[in-house]
Amino acid sequence: MTALGSTAAGSTPAGSTHAGSTAAAPSIELDTVSFAYPDGTRALSNVALRIEPGESVAIVGQNGSGKSTLVRHLNGLLRPTTGRVLLDGRDVRSTHVARLAGLVGLAFQNPDRQLFAGRVSAEVAFGPRNLGVRGPALEERVRAALEEVGLAAEASTNPYDLGYSRRKLLALASVLAMRTPVLVLDEPTTGQDARGVGLVRDVVSRAAGDGRTVIAISHDMRFVAESFRRVVVMREGRVVLEGPPEAVFGEAAWPELRAAYLEPPLPAVAGARLGLGATPTEAALVAALVAGN
Amino acid sequence: MIQADEEALLPAYVRRIPTGGYRSLNPLTKLTLAAVAAIVAFGVRGWTGPAVVLVVVVSSALVAGVLRRMAPFALATLPLVASILLVNTFLYPNAHDVIAVFGPLAPTWTGATAALQATLRVVAFGLSAALFALTTPIDDLLGELERRHVGRRGSFVVGSALGAIPRTVDRAREVVDAQRSRGMDTEGRLWRRFRGLVPLIAPVLFGALAEVEERTMALEARAFTAPGRRTILRELPDSGWQRAVRWLLLVGSIAAVAVSLAGAVKLP
Repeated sequence: MTALGSTAAGSTPAGSTHAGSTAAAPSIELDTVSFAYPDGTRALSNVALRIEPGESVAIVGQNGSGKSTLVRHLNGLLRPTTGRVLLDGRDVRSTHVARLAGLVGLAFQNPDRQLFAGRVSAEVAFGPRNLGVRGPALEERVRAALEEVGLAAEASTNPYDLGYSRRKLLALASVLAMRTPVLVLDEPTTGQDARGVGLVRDVVSRAAGDGRTVIAISHDMRFVAESFRRVVVMREGRVVLEGPPEAVFGEAAWPELRAAYLEPPLPAVAGARLGLGATPTEAALVAALVAGN
Repeated sequence: MIQADEEALLPAYVRRIPTGGYRSLNPLTKLTLAAVAAIVAFGVRGWTGPAVVLVVVVSSALVAGVLRRMAPFALATLPLVASILLVNTFLYPNAHDVIAVFGPLAPTWTGATAALQATLRVVAFGLSAALFALTTPIDDLLGELERRHVGRRGSFVVGSALGAIPRTVDRAREVVDAQRSRGMDTEGRLWRRFRGLVPLIAPVLFGALAEVEERTMALEARAFTAPGRRTILRELPDSGWQRAVRWLLLVGSIAAVAVSLAGAVKLP
């Protein structure tokens, strides 16, 4: 594994503070975790990774590189074949998923694998209700979560009457309402239009601003570069590269990225050619391009 | 040489034709064997029918190398077997040869015998279906049915029904994971698990319905109902002796059932 640059552990992108009663985020450590599925497929090989409380981390890699398998270890859905997963130094091996759900909220990639209620509000209430939240506190959480993803007006709608992108936002809201100190998002921007990506970006920014740990799997390199402080690159079940976006998307790392079948985001490529670094702002890029003309 | 797992990823029409004593049989022959097993297991009276089926199925499974993989299928019959054993042993009508008395319950020898026979029939049938499923790729069966001019719609119905099973299992697993991630307790008391049924069943059901609609539209988009004959890319071998065996088995099994029902031959 190559560690690039320095990662500002605990630092967060600027974002508005979101009122919520979230517990302090735990540190997460994967201690040489390996995992093989029952059919023998080896999905993770000796993954060693530490995520500090409040970090925002994007996990990238080609399909089948082990990203989803990795995040499913964080809330106990999968248990390592060898190695340990530690939350605040404690091995989670013997802790029930239902209990870990209060610490680590995981929004799945496919919303249709979880939506079941007849009303949007009931769907969002499902998670916090399972955590024991009732009454006005529950209503407040549902309302806030729906507002956060722009679905406040749809509280009474049947989830299956929403389009795919909004069902995906609903699935995200249902996890946000649990107000877990760790938020894990599996490909949150897939299937979203620009407005949806903007909403997801705001959710990440706000959660990180609140001191929550945010971990996201994504193939959207621009979203990754703009929204996360640290990028972890996986290939064939291993972490092959990690560091801040400006290092991971920097020109020196492109061969390693391409070996993992990833392309650096266009701003990083243009920024490198124009001498603006790997994560230039849109304004700086446009200014440089206009000046070049 | 192509490894087995790599081979599974190849499209059906470039995969090797199965080899081996049982696997190399034409899918229709294996389907006939499974159908005949069901006819004999349930149609021939006494122990003989199911016992013969069981011996043939286990021997064939040994030849095909799938005997150990049939264990889950045998286990799947357990709930049905348990109910058969209980109901027949304790509640068999007009049986008076009581084994013992447990309060209001009085199991009988007649009931126990009927229960064991019925169990043998269910297990024999279950294992014959398992043998067929484990040795016959769905694509091969559908290709063979289509080659024999069984309608495309019919092939699609059979294929969808068979193919939906593993997909539904995968979907159910992911639904369970998603709901557990939202704090649903599937590891606690029975009442809690029961309460969690709706969040588990609804997404599986809705997803399956949506998938059927999507698959139908995708098939239409690829000219599924277009007229004219299709080219068969994967011709599976068949032979005169297999055709003869199929007819012989079908006619023989129906005859065996008729003889058994008529009581013309006394079978144990």
